[in-house]
Amino acid sequence: MFMGLTALAGETAATTNNTDLAQLANMDISELMQLKVSILGPSQTISEAPAAISVVRQEDIKRSGAQNIPEALRLVPGMDVAQLDASQWAVSARGFNDVFANKLLVMQDGRSIYTPLFSGVFWDVQGTMMEDIDRIEVVRGPGATLWGANAVNGVINIITRSAADTQGLLVSGGGGNQERGFGGVRYGGVVNSNVFFRVYGTYENHDATVLADGSNANNSWQMARGGFRADWNPTDDNLLTFQGDGYAGWINQVFGTFNPLNPPTYTTSVQDDMTADGANALGRWTHTFSDTADFKLQGYYDYTGRDAAIFNEQRHTFDLNFQHEFALGDRNHVIWGLGYRLTSDTEVNNPTVSFNPASKTLNLFSAFAQDEIALVKDRLRLTLGSKFEHNDYTGLEVQPGARLSWTPTEHQTFWASISRAVRTPSRAEESITLMQSRQVAPNFFVPVTISGSGAFESEEEIAYEAGYRTEPFKRLSLDLAAFYNDYTDLRSLQQNPGNPTQFVLGNELRGDTYGVEASATWKVEDWWRVQPAYTLLHTDLRARPDGASPPDNTSVAYVEGSSPQNQFSIRSSMDLPHDVTFDLALRYVDKLPTYQVGSYFELNARLGWQITKNLEVALVGQNLLHDHHAEFGPSYINTQNGNKTEIPRSFYGTITWRF
Amino acid sequence: MNPNHQRHAERAPCLAGFARMQGPALFVFYLLLVLLAGRRTVQAQTGPPSEYQLKAAFLYNFGKFVEWPANAFTNDAAPLVIGLFGGDPFHGDLERLVANQNIRGHPVIVRQISSLSDSKGCHILFVNTPEPIQAAKITNALGNASILTVTENIDHFTESAFMISFVMKDDKVRFEINNEAARSSGLKISGKLLALALKPAK
Repeated sequence: MFMGLTALAGETAATTNNTDLAQLANMDISELMQLKVSILGPSQTISEAPAAISVVRQEDIKRSGAQNIPEALRLVPGMDVAQLDASQWAVSARGFNDVFANKLLVMQDGRSIYTPLFSGVFWDVQGTMMEDIDRIEVVRGPGATLWGANAVNGVINIITRSAADTQGLLVSGGGGNQERGFGGVRYGGVVNSNVFFRVYGTYENHDATVLADGSNANNSWQMARGGFRADWNPTDDNLLTFQGDGYAGWINQVFGTFNPLNPPTYTTSVQDDMTADGANALGRWTHTFSDTADFKLQGYYDYTGRDAAIFNEQRHTFDLNFQHEFALGDRNHVIWGLGYRLTSDTEVNNPTVSFNPASKTLNLFSAFAQDEIALVKDRLRLTLGSKFEHNDYTGLEVQPGARLSWTPTEHQTFWASISRAVRTPSRAEESITLMQSRQVAPNFFVPVTISGSGAFESEEEIAYEAGYRTEPFKRLSLDLAAFYNDYTDLRSLQQNPGNPTQFVLGNELRGDTYGVEASATWKVEDWWRVQPAYTLLHTDLRARPDGASPPDNTSVAYVEGSSPQNQFSIRSSMDLPHDVTFDLALRYVDKLPTYQVGSYFELNARLGWQITKNLEVALVGQNLLHDHHAEFGPSYINTQNGNKTEIPRSFYGTITWRF
Repeated sequence: MNPNHQRHAERAPCLAGFARMQGPALFVFYLLLVLLAGRRTVQAQTGPPSEYQLKAAFLYNFGKFVEWPANAFTNDAAPLVIGLFGGDPFHGDLERLVANQNIRGHPVIVRQISSLSDSKGCHILFVNTPEPIQAAKITNALGNASILTVTENIDHFTESAFMISFVMKDDKVRFEINNEAARSSGLKISGKLLALALKPAK
């Protein structure tokens, strides 16, 4: 009886599959060109890239329910994403996580979006119409050879769709308990057959997170954003892209400000309503010589501003870069490029955070060259390259790398690499003064100063990596990466032997990290995909043996305990009948001793229904397993009186129309 | 109830529940199973096609836009043959898709090609992810036979003698056309298809 039923079910499926295929067969070719393939479909050939690379596609982002970029980055195996409060995230890979994490290079459509202020990202102001993101490419490990300084532990590249691929009107909106309300409108049109454009506007209103006792942390915020993109093909081999965005945000936050007249804590708590705004414009010319040769010339201007109780900055950045790639003979593929960046800031000093000088202009010159050599065609590839950068703090930095990839069969690739990368000094590390008060005994506080130093050097990394990707069966693919990173000249806090209340930033830490990142995609059924991932990280730091003065002992444990040793996640994606999709994502994150954050499990779920070709609704639940839970804590800047905030369980609904 | 089910029944309480079902409960359970089975098929119908299902539809469609020389068909009702060389990435979907279809009166059939000498009767030949050396061998072996050669993800497409190559772009299927190669083999590709193709780089 059971056998009979199974056979029956199987047969029905096959028959209907035939009608489905017949439907395809009867479609006009231009209709076929509009169809998208299921992302649950058979996986493509294994990537031969000699690096730990992952790509998060639009469909993955949509089905995860992510409403911002940090949430979308949780989809990448090996990434460490922790939400500190309503508007702040700590994002890193391979250790060293912090709200001011500084070892990632982050770009959006070729524009660098990490700030030279602290070499990290203000995640609250990053974003675009989520529906217009084509993909987010993430390279874990150093990508310095091509991309340059700061690409120490990873490169994140957010790539939006071309104007031609975002045609028509799209209106989306929704709301819930944490995401109180959000909406976006995008219109894409054609000027003539060679010129496509789009314009968009979005608005978000986020509720506050809570303190450990469940009370409101008073850090709700709003963000409004608008932008455009135009792509012009004057001839077949030339493409001109113009794009730009502008945004303004109003962010509530509780800051602890230094107040020498307020003993014993010397701190006054301020409920701040800060503003953050920015604007950018970018132009890019791509000229294609042949299918193996092209050049790109790109320039952009970027303005960012932030006005808070303890920090006020305006920054202008100009960037110009050129890249040329071509095949050299049969076996060599060469890419080289040149770049120049100017960044100029003006800081308004206050008693808590000040800069000396208050205004600074920095120049960055860079050049790179890389050759990909086919040692054995389509089987064994060697990539050699180096980046050369000149910055105003440490002068010339050379960052070479060698990568080897071996593809013995179509279904598997082995790769290994050695590279050197540096993290050049940030503006803050050179010239900041932070006034804080430290508790040394019950009810006894001491005001301390933490100062940057003109002698601060680049942090240096030598990275050894290896990986293996395979598709042992049609429905299963595996991706493994292992790394050993050796760091010297890491940032430390040096206590002044003559005055224990003074600390200066130094480079007296060194150490190593090693770890493994494993992920799999298993297509259980045509309609069901399961993706587990596991990340192991071990960080072992020590004071430099030849250090001139002993570093603040807390910093070794502090850095070691700020990234989880173990992370595990499993995602399930189902295409159900009647155009319903159902996605679940469970994640486990190990404890963070630095912030007294315990290990936790959390679960996100999304139920989507494509009602008609033009209309989709979805219900999303995030962080479903706890009323509220902590993921991270404040580091250099005192927010919430030094307390962690916790992320509440949340629900929201969305509706999306496309015309 | 066979012994296998007994064993499951001891282990898993919910299966034990099914095992104990009888009469109307059993009927409802079977009805549910059939309904679920039926529903899965609805999904197959309305969900997006897989990459190779879509490529199969393109492959069949290409036939409508190509004019073969008169001697390519023995008569007006002779089949139009699509050959698959280097395995079947379509997993039988191409056969199912072209079943009962015809192009200008020629019924379309699919044939697996294990040796290139067998490809002579083909009108369209799909070569599954060729290696460059193999690609050269294939195009040499075919010579100027009037066969529309199709492949995918190939490096140096314009320098190869393949006529059409699939490219995935934003989860959509796109294709490039090497019209010179087609013309030198006596094939005439319609302007409409040429216009829809991605422009191969010079």
